[in-house]
Amino acid sequence: MNAKKQHTALRAGLLVFGSSLIILLCLISGQQLLNPFTLDQETLNTLLALRLPRVIVAFLMGGALGASGAVLQGIFRSPLADPYILGISSGAALLVASGLLFGINLFSLTIPALSFAGAVATGGLVVLLGRGWHGLQPERLLLAGIGVGFFLSATLMLLMTIASNDGLKQAFLWMSGDLSMVDFGAVPFGLFFILIGLALAFYHHKGLNALTLGDEVAYSLGFNPVSERLWLFMAASLMTAAAVSMGGVVGFIGLVVPHIVRRHIGSDAKTVLPLSVVSGGTLLCLADTLGRTVAAPLELPSGVVAAFIGAPYFIFLLQRKQNR
Amino acid sequence: MICAADCKKVPLLEFQNLDYPVAERDFFQQLNFSITVGGLIGLMGSNGAGKTTLLKLAAGLLQPKRGRVLLGNKDISSYSGRKRAQYLAYLPQLLDMNAPFRVAELVSMGSYFSQGQQHFSITEAIEIVGLSGKADAFLSDLSGGERRRAYIAMTLLQGGKLLLLDEPLANLDLKYQLELLRLLKQICRDKQISVIISFHDIALASRMDRLMMLKNGKLVADGKPEKLMNNDIIREVFGLADEDIPSLFSGFIKVC
Repeated sequence: MNAKKQHTALRAGLLVFGSSLIILLCLISGQQLLNPFTLDQETLNTLLALRLPRVIVAFLMGGALGASGAVLQGIFRSPLADPYILGISSGAALLVASGLLFGINLFSLTIPALSFAGAVATGGLVVLLGRGWHGLQPERLLLAGIGVGFFLSATLMLLMTIASNDGLKQAFLWMSGDLSMVDFGAVPFGLFFILIGLALAFYHHKGLNALTLGDEVAYSLGFNPVSERLWLFMAASLMTAAAVSMGGVVGFIGLVVPHIVRRHIGSDAKTVLPLSVVSGGTLLCLADTLGRTVAAPLELPSGVVAAFIGAPYFIFLLQRKQNR
Repeated sequence: MICAADCKKVPLLEFQNLDYPVAERDFFQQLNFSITVGGLIGLMGSNGAGKTTLLKLAAGLLQPKRGRVLLGNKDISSYSGRKRAQYLAYLPQLLDMNAPFRVAELVSMGSYFSQGQQHFSITEAIEIVGLSGKADAFLSDLSGGERRRAYIAMTLLQGGKLLLLDEPLANLDLKYQLELLRLLKQICRDKQISVIISFHDIALASRMDRLMMLKNGKLVADGKPEKLMNNDIIREVFGLADEDIPSLFSGFIKVC
């Protein structure tokens, strides 16, 4: 077993090392490739003022979504659960789109503040609707999330169909995860909530493992499944709300990243949570870099590119598992 | 540790005048019994007799309407989750056989709250259930019997004195059923643990140290298998016709 632990540690180390290299590449890549060994003042300014903040935002968003997906898949015992299936993103998108379409102005905090408020309010509503006679039940919570999500999405579509002002394109780009619209002033705000969510999830990582086995087994192991699920759901909601508030709706990362980490490293939440942060963050950095370089000067939304990278790999993993 | 010097005197588990309703009528009425340390106890009865409900009441998953369930002389509801987990482990009939864990990861969860009072190490628990070479295998890559044994190893690691296993023999072929029963008897003997299992197959009844037979929520017989395995009791518990009895008894497996 020790050999296996070493093997797992080696794989985890390789993943972190590979991710660091990719992030460095993301920093120097763009419409203009920067040479890190011959940094003049102008290059340094570009690196620090433009590239670094964007890489930081992409990493934080991707990391938060990856960890959030790992938590939700565990507490719902569903490999298809992701931060957006619970309607959290739809709530954030509806409030932001409404704000942009109706010209609500909270200065630089318009998008982050509205999306955070929308995400948290939707998360709260889903929890209220997901409570049955025996507390917070996974099936009920999942169905409440899907129902609320569909309703909010439909409302959003209705709003966008009847609206015709300048905020429409901005709202649409934001919903596609376009990081060119990121306001870096929102980063400390987002980072704060991501760290709280992550700390909460990590504190409950044993409960997360136990819930993956079902409520009765979790109970037998000494946990209270209802309160564990509530704490972990709050952690995932906070991380998703923070990610959405920083850069819009980026799908797929929360779904695919935890699967990739589990397949290569193992399923213990103590390992899956931090490595989902690293992998999710790296995947979104890579997607954002590709999005702003492959069709430059046109920028492709990072959410779209992330899905183009992640989906084929996900299908490859699925096929390999089936063959095995 | 719940019981020290007076292990044999203090019941591990005791039902006192317990009433529990099912579908708005009292299913269990004035149910009384106790379990002491050590031994494999078989809970037998036809479908719907109340085996699973009784095990869930014993685990504290269900609360009685009246009466009490005592664990080591204390009401089960007064235990914190951690303390209860150190005392007893419950394994439901329906387990997630495709949980995304490796065997060693799954088994190690049994030690979350055991605070060093385990009877075994993770490696030993895996070895005892016969999965030594498969510690790093994913649960989904094992056979049905192996997956169930991995879960049993997890409960062994909790270090409790009482294991409640709901239908652990379900979906196992005869070889694995006998192997598992032999394993449980050995653990009971070596570690002074009590194991209660629910099961249907009367051919395996003789392998228990004690049999408790349920019918429609009533404990109709309780004692040594050799005293209970007679036509009248079997007919009563399973509601069988006279002509079915001889063929059943000819299929009994003797205790080794």
